[in-house]
Amino acid sequence: MIFVENLHKKFGPVHVLKGVDCHIREREVVCVIGPSGSGKSTFLRCMNGLESISSGSIVINKHRLDDSKTNINLVRQEAGMVFQHFNLFPHLRVIENVMLAPLKVAKVSKEEARAKAEVLLAKVGLAAKMDVFPGSLSGGQMQRVAIARALAMDPKIMLFDEPTSALDPEIVGEVLTVMKDLASEGMTMVVVTHEMGFAREVADRVLFMDQGLIVEEGTPEEIFSSPRHARTQGFLSKVL
Amino acid sequence: MFRPFEWQDLLPLLEGAWLTLQLCGVSGILGVIFGLILGIARTSPSRIARWISTIYISCVRGIPILVIIFFVFFGIPLLFPGLEPDKFSSAVIALTCFAAAYVAEIVRGSIEAVAKGQSEAADALGLDYWRKLRYVILPQAVKIMVPPGIGFLIGLVKDSSLVTVTGLLELTHAGNVVTNLTGDPIKTFLIVAAMYFVICYGISWLGRLYEKRTGIHVDPLKVPEPAGL
Repeated sequence: MIFVENLHKKFGPVHVLKGVDCHIREREVVCVIGPSGSGKSTFLRCMNGLESISSGSIVINKHRLDDSKTNINLVRQEAGMVFQHFNLFPHLRVIENVMLAPLKVAKVSKEEARAKAEVLLAKVGLAAKMDVFPGSLSGGQMQRVAIARALAMDPKIMLFDEPTSALDPEIVGEVLTVMKDLASEGMTMVVVTHEMGFAREVADRVLFMDQGLIVEEGTPEEIFSSPRHARTQGFLSKVL
Repeated sequence: MFRPFEWQDLLPLLEGAWLTLQLCGVSGILGVIFGLILGIARTSPSRIARWISTIYISCVRGIPILVIIFFVFFGIPLLFPGLEPDKFSSAVIALTCFAAAYVAEIVRGSIEAVAKGQSEAADALGLDYWRKLRYVILPQAVKIMVPPGIGFLIGLVKDSSLVTVTGLLELTHAGNVVTNLTGDPIKTFLIVAAMYFVICYGISWLGRLYEKRTGIHVDPLKVPEPAGL
């Protein structure tokens, strides 16, 4: 489903990704962990073209991201993204946030888009908040709207960029619950996260990144209980 | 040969004020339209569009408005023989050229002030450049551009007094004419000043009304609080 080969990313002189290889299968939930500055967010953002690729290749559902002829907007419709700071559209009501892409990109009818948005908002537990503006929601509610918005295009893959890092600790759970439901429905997910509990419980596979490389990967059991690499051990001893 | 200032002298001043309003109305609207186009071009992914608009904006902003007025007034009939715009049209052309450059900079600043995450979220949903601009960026940018835009329009009304040099009978020129008739510049120009003030105050009142009516729910610069550390 996702093939990444020898991915390099440079921001000017800064070499952020130094040859990342990975293969993510359909219905797999992969959590990416690692210290700040390890390149994990950049890696995720490369997967839907928010960052350009310096060299190497990424293939998502047979779309080659490193090919300039690829229509990046088609790829983005298949790979939904959830951001650390939600990035809801403040000038649109909650339901309009969810309806925007189906209406303007997929060009479905207004009734259809609305019906779909209602279902999705009910699914994330926010049916009652449909007609308010995002500014009046709590962080956890905003992030659940953002998840519904990303799901509205029926993506085959969901990319999460530290979805709970901007949330108060007591409301992290409500977002993780929605993500767990999504995982159990078989969504292919790549989650950059600092929530080790979530990674351990939900992930099929955990990637540990440091200094622009995937240092170690394995099942949560392997990574958390018996990490082989010294850098993984060092990182986990600080966060667990 | 002078006669005292009489009530009927108000009439040419009112006509001048009306002409100033028309002049600023037309060139303000045209300036906003062209300024929007230029400002969007200034932030567009197309290098040529950015290049053209940047050159235009820098040139116009580096030239005194009086020079633009003279250039249009005397230059157009010479550059385009047969084309002889009347005084009002050449004043509109000059003020529009001037306004477009300044409005463009306001538009650019407002587009850039919309949080970067908004653009990324629109990208991630698969919206192309124009849809992103239309549905996500501009609705938020317009709200940011209103206060400086109103400020600029007020400036435009005041700067429009410079077209008096072409002989167009706008408010300042009417004041001059009435002064020559009555020999009473103090009364005349106090009234002229009051009329400019009313026009400018009216524009800022409209601006405040707009902000009040739209300012209820939109706070484009609001960034969610990070989790407590």
